[in-house]
Amino acid sequence: MELIFISIPPIQRITFGDMIGWIILGVIVLILVGIVFYVIGIYNTLVQLRNRFTNAFAQIDVQLKRRHDLIPNLVETAKGYLKHEKETLENVIKARNQAASARETAAAHPEDASSMQNLRASEGALAGAMTGFFALSEAYPDLKANQNMMQLTEELTTTENKISFARQAYNDAVMRYNTDREQFPAAVFAGMFNFLPAEYFEIEDPTEKIAPKVSF
Amino acid sequence: MDFFEAQDHAQSRSKFLVLYFFCAVLLIIAAVYFAVTGGVFYYQHKLGTGASPPLFTGLRLSLTAGIVVPLICFGSLWRTSQLRSKGGAGVAQSLGGRKVSYTTQRPDERMLRNVVEEMAIASGLPVPEVYVMDHETGINAFAAGFGLSDAVIGVTKGAIEQLDRDELQGVIAHEFSHILNGDMRLNTKLSGWVFGIVMLTMLGRGFWRFIGGGSKSRSGSGRGIYVGRSRGSGGGGGGGDSKGGAGALIIAVILVAVLITMVGFIGEFFARLIQAAVSRQREYLADASALQFTRNPEGIGNALRRIGGIHHDSVLQNPNASEFAHAFFAKSLTSEVSFLATHPPLKKRIARLLKDWQGDYLKPRPPLKKQAATKKKPNRGSTAFGDAMGGLGAESTNGAQGATSDNFQQMLTAGLFMQCLGNYSGLFTENS
Repeated sequence: MELIFISIPPIQRITFGDMIGWIILGVIVLILVGIVFYVIGIYNTLVQLRNRFTNAFAQIDVQLKRRHDLIPNLVETAKGYLKHEKETLENVIKARNQAASARETAAAHPEDASSMQNLRASEGALAGAMTGFFALSEAYPDLKANQNMMQLTEELTTTENKISFARQAYNDAVMRYNTDREQFPAAVFAGMFNFLPAEYFEIEDPTEKIAPKVSF
Repeated sequence: MDFFEAQDHAQSRSKFLVLYFFCAVLLIIAAVYFAVTGGVFYYQHKLGTGASPPLFTGLRLSLTAGIVVPLICFGSLWRTSQLRSKGGAGVAQSLGGRKVSYTTQRPDERMLRNVVEEMAIASGLPVPEVYVMDHETGINAFAAGFGLSDAVIGVTKGAIEQLDRDELQGVIAHEFSHILNGDMRLNTKLSGWVFGIVMLTMLGRGFWRFIGGGSKSRSGSGRGIYVGRSRGSGGGGGGGDSKGGAGALIIAVILVAVLITMVGFIGEFFARLIQAAVSRQREYLADASALQFTRNPEGIGNALRRIGGIHHDSVLQNPNASEFAHAFFAKSLTSEVSFLATHPPLKKRIARLLKDWQGDYLKPRPPLKKQAATKKKPNRGSTAFGDAMGGLGAESTNGAQGATSDNFQQMLTAGLFMQCLGNYSGLFTENS
């Protein structure tokens, strides 16, 4: 230490007062650059997580679409057997159409919470209608024995299962995203960059769980 | 059953077991070193030089290691690549599997494919090819392939006919977790190491035969390696020293060969023991993961109960099944000694899956599924009995044949040890 004090002053006569301005400036610049990089990091993480859950939704979407495509076939097959149950069939078709349009809106904007809520509600209604339909078809052994009907039931069952397994992945991804988004420093910027909270995909109708368990 | 905890437990257990395996290989190298040392001691003693040789020399160790390590490595690499080369599809075909097409219209196959796709989504893996073993009436399934890209899943006819949708889902989920956890890869590597140790036995036997053959040819035609020795003894004179030396050398080499063969046998036994223990741990792990994928303990639990309930249980008739026993859902061989078994006992597995299991099994369910089967195969009813009866007698002989021909092929391809072929394959059959 002594050496430094002795050797420096004669060569360069810079006072501490001269340097302090530069030091402060340097520190400020460093902090600013650090903050910028930090914000970029947060932004990129949020983008990544958002992409992940929208991609996970795409998996659900494929299956939802498939189910919506299968249901008219099912109703068409059942029509011949359920001549006196027009109301139930119409209910199914109505619920199906509603769910199909809700699906299209949600697929266009999976990050939009309101369209996701809408889809959830209409899928719940569809599940309810389907439960009613299957409960009814229990009383028609001919319908149950119909080869076409059996095939369609199997396809619907697998689609239901795929939706529920894909839903697990989607909800996990949403949870990751929402948690990251709500944590402190990120929460400040999330609103700034328009990262809105994502919605879970749960089907509200409790009978939904029974729907895939159709035994023939 | 907390499946995450169960997964951690099984994973750390099998890591330990793999560590044991490496220790076993190291011990074998040490044992071979001592065998060689014993031979050297004997030789020196017979020569009567008086001074006993040093117990440890760098040259001897590097010579031993220089032969044993490459031998085991070569053996294991060769075996691994041989097992790998088949690929998942090749294994499935050798087990009598028939590929199920994506567009199949048969209801039972459609369901199978759908269940596989469901589990692919649940486990986050690509959809593998699906095979059906049409000639197997036991309830079983397997996963094969070295990695994700060539993974396949196969199911027996019995599984399709006997299991309902949820049970089948549990079985398929179990197989998916074998793929996800890299169990086939692990087992291929372990099989490779076991074979590397087997090669040691073959080396010992090769030595033995070489000398035995040499002395036989000497007595027969008077020619061969030891001609010089017999002439020396006849001529007398200064041959006395070299005569004793050569005799001692032969006995020393035989001693070493016998010791190496013994080390090889003991090593192989323990290696198989460890491999079986690893396999059993991986089965528990796969059960736990199946639960994670399906969130339905009844599915896989009832599938196991149904295996316990049918007369034919999970045994396979295809002779190639013995080689891939570890990849199946339940045990595939009739005679499994408990400590060499690839699968834990059925009861233990069910008890881990179903909390309040009373120890009862499920009865076979032919009526409903049989109807569907009769449409496809008119004489199904009559063959079922024939299958069951034929299977009883055929299994044991098939198993033995499979083991023999398999080893036969190994030896043939190995080329190096052609001379001890007859001996070895005979020995193996006695053992198995």
